[in-house]
Amino acid sequence: MAPAKKILLVEDERHISKGLMFNLEREGYDMALAENGESALDYFSQGGFDMMILDLMLPKLSGLEVARKIRETNIRFPILMLTAKTTDEDRILGFELGADDYLTKPFHLPELLLRVKGMLRRGDWYKEPVRNKEIFRFGKMWINFDTGKARGNSGEFHLTAKETLVMNLLASKKNEVVSREELLEKVWGYTSDTETRTIDNFIARLRKYFEKNPKKPVRIVTVREKGYQLVLGPDKS
Amino acid sequence: MSRLRRLLFHPVFIFVGIQIAWIILMAVWINWYIKNSLRFKEFAQKIKPELFTTDFNWVILLEGCVLMLIILAGVCLIFVYWTKQARLNQLQSAFVSSVSHELKSPLASIQLYLETLQYQKVSPEETREFIEIMLTDTERLAGLIENILEAGKSDVKSMQPQLAPLEIEQFLKELLQAYERQFKERGCEARLDIQDSPTLHADKRAIRMVFSNLLSNALRYTPEGGPITIRVTAQKKFCVIEFIDSGVGLVKKDLKKIFRKFYRVQDKETQGVEGAGLGLFISREIVKNHKGKIEVYSQGKGKGSTFAVSLPLDPDKENAS
Repeated sequence: MAPAKKILLVEDERHISKGLMFNLEREGYDMALAENGESALDYFSQGGFDMMILDLMLPKLSGLEVARKIRETNIRFPILMLTAKTTDEDRILGFELGADDYLTKPFHLPELLLRVKGMLRRGDWYKEPVRNKEIFRFGKMWINFDTGKARGNSGEFHLTAKETLVMNLLASKKNEVVSREELLEKVWGYTSDTETRTIDNFIARLRKYFEKNPKKPVRIVTVREKGYQLVLGPDKS
Repeated sequence: MSRLRRLLFHPVFIFVGIQIAWIILMAVWINWYIKNSLRFKEFAQKIKPELFTTDFNWVILLEGCVLMLIILAGVCLIFVYWTKQARLNQLQSAFVSSVSHELKSPLASIQLYLETLQYQKVSPEETREFIEIMLTDTERLAGLIENILEAGKSDVKSMQPQLAPLEIEQFLKELLQAYERQFKERGCEARLDIQDSPTLHADKRAIRMVFSNLLSNALRYTPEGGPITIRVTAQKKFCVIEFIDSGVGLVKKDLKKIFRKFYRVQDKETQGVEGAGLGLFISREIVKNHKGKIEVYSQGKGKGSTFAVSLPLDPDKENAS
């Protein structure tokens, strides 16, 4: 029997953390709880966790800062932000600082459990042996789907795990339309009736990396009412 | 880019820009007038020579300058009101953000436990515990809503308290009983130090709100296991109720500001602590309405705080201020 997945819950609201611990333990996960940002980083540095559920308004060190610090050393560690901050700006900032998924309070328990399951499944996918060692090139830009390293408008950088997955899916179907539902299912691991603004935020971020003018995209284009398409015509860049 | 735009449209930059524009305009006006006044004079003399029995040149120039200055003063006035409005908007958005967080957290907790009961197999003991947690959260929600409604009343100051005899010892014991669970959760010890036990004349509901706010604050800012003392003493015509915590304490600059509406201490240690910045403001207004006063003392950061509420034994006769 495979060992239980280990999740680090970072939450300072006692009632919420108690309820979450109860439910996630019932689902068979091995749980650890950090009640402030600093102790979250301490736990993380000990290693062994498969994912993190991260509140944003935390004492000592904010959740955003925790995510930023983790991303400095680890771009793949799955982070689910669980927060009462619901504006688009908050969401975009959360994704920019390294969230793989973003769920707002109050939330539905089945949805949270589904998202956790999906994230852990994606995590496993990443641990599988390398399937695509080749570097995907488009113009002067490239992405290494194995390491997450990429070259965009502003030079070399690292994509986060989810960003790499989105680009991998778009690249595997280049010049074809990938529906939002397919992206949700294959990258986030949950059904299409859930929040879809997450995808919009990711696409906006990817455009910033790979488009000369992100407001007028020519590579990662939106196909109205269908989805997204990675357009790779003759190289002009 | 948006940060740069926000910076460029900052009220101060816009104000400076408008001032520069007006100064340039005024300089252009003076320059243009001086250059062309002779030609105007000649032209006007041809049409209406009687106008030139007296010299109007300087009067017209002065009038133009005065007009400019009046417009400049108008712009200054608009700027003053604009910045005031901008500050109010900022306060309001900070308030909306913290209140929405305050509302969502207990709501999220209640929903989580209700769905746990719906989807998981839960033992009777666990069910009882979950219900108690939900009840605490509903109390937290009710307290917050009460604070918002109270602060939203157009004139808190003019509200007359409904005075009735209030046995302070019994009242505080009941209050602590209601907070038993929160004390247990935080591992904090509640100490009731009754040195005198007078009967007050106060609005029970309003004073309960004040003491609840002070007790909730003490619980929020006291580290786990720290003691919280409520001391009651009678001093001449006043009864002083002190809420003494062993929490994060307050620096001097915050001591003066914490009773302001929406004010919250910005500190690394307390950034995740719940609160809407209303409780102390409302508490002060309520105590003032009782002709009492509320004060705060702290030796500094990490040294705890004491909130002292002085209530007159007979508010009809006394005035604390």
